Amino acid sequence: MPKVLIVDDTAFMRKLLRNILFSGGFDIAGEAENGKQAVEMYKQLKPDIVTMDIVMPEMNGIEALKAIKKLDPNAKVVMCTAVGQEQMVKAAIKLGAKGYIVKPFQAPKVIEELKKVAGMS
Amino acid sequence: MSSGERVLKIPVEYFDNGWKKGEAVITKDAISFAGNTIRFKEIQDLERLKFEGRDALRIKKDGNYYLDFGSRQNQIFKYLAFNLKSDRFAVYFLSPATRGGVVVSDSKWEKGYLSITDEALWFLSASKQIRISIQNLGSVEKDIRTVGKKQRVVLVVTHVENGEVITSFILCPETTMDMLQEYIQTFIEKAKPKEKLSEVEEQILTMVYTGVDSVSVESILGVTTEELNRMYDRLVDLGLARVVKIRKEIELTPRGVALVSEIMKKAAR
Repeated sequence: MPKVLIVDDTAFMRKLLRNILFSGGFDIAGEAENGKQAVEMYKQLKPDIVTMDIVMPEMNGIEALKAIKKLDPNAKVVMCTAVGQEQMVKAAIKLGAKGYIVKPFQAPKVIEELKKVAGMS
Repeated sequence: MSSGERVLKIPVEYFDNGWKKGEAVITKDAISFAGNTIRFKEIQDLERLKFEGRDALRIKKDGNYYLDFGSRQNQIFKYLAFNLKSDRFAVYFLSPATRGGVVVSDSKWEKGYLSITDEALWFLSASKQIRISIQNLGSVEKDIRTVGKKQRVVLVVTHVENGEVITSFILCPETTMDMLQEYIQTFIEKAKPKEKLSEVEEQILTMVYTGVDSVSVESILGVTTEELNRMYDRLVDLGLARVVKIRKEIELTPRGVALVSEIMKKAAR
């Protein structure tokens, strides 16, 4: 099953996504709590998909996406956004994000979106 | 119904201790059936719903009347929706724009009206008549979106439908937008719980909305079943959730779902 790197600055959201993705049959490659850590973990873990929060300390999701795409132009990054962050989502899509999910999300929708990005549906 | 027609006589089934056959007479300002005449301006609420095994129209005037117009249900619903007593504003709208956190790709901007009655907001156009109960409103705020090829300020309304958070966009002149935002916000404030939730309670709401079961909620939060049950009880008491299993599985009420949307936005700031 595809390995997912979960990137979010809140422990609660990481746990929640871990629970959803695990139930949906994904493997969890790792968890990062900011963009900088995400880039480092991407190099080490080579996940199939990254779920990337946008607003984070140290390095935000957009900067992390840029850095990851520089390392691996084929990286599959799905942005996690809240209502009202459309401008940032658009920037992310232009930078090569493969999709996005809007918080609050429902588990089946998240799994569906990630399976689509992984080419499983 | 064409504007040239003054009276429409149409078969209807109405609910009165069971479905009964009759005839409805619809004029330009009232509907009559089974000895009742309801002027459109007296209708307090209108809704399409499943009732006693039927796809029915609920018309509220003091009490509720349930009607089934069969193959002409859409036509009658549309006519009544456009004739409700309401405050109505000419707008462009996109509804739904997202559903359950995912963009609805086949949704299009519509030219029509935002109609506000005592119990609901309506998006009305030639092809859509969308009713949003005031209880189901979550948030309203301005944001910049691409409409056509231009960046425009739109009003983003989140609401709940069948347990999912939906976002809809409204485009209109900015002075109207300010007024609508204030108007809608007033409804949202009225429906909010009076007591503030703790962080853990907010997290529980979010998890229940997401679809996490109670065992996983306990594991994620590191709480015992008894502790979780106590927190569930409080969410139920606040009207944010309802019990669906004796072992305290809860699901969110529309007010609970609406609050999750707000919690997520707060967390993103």
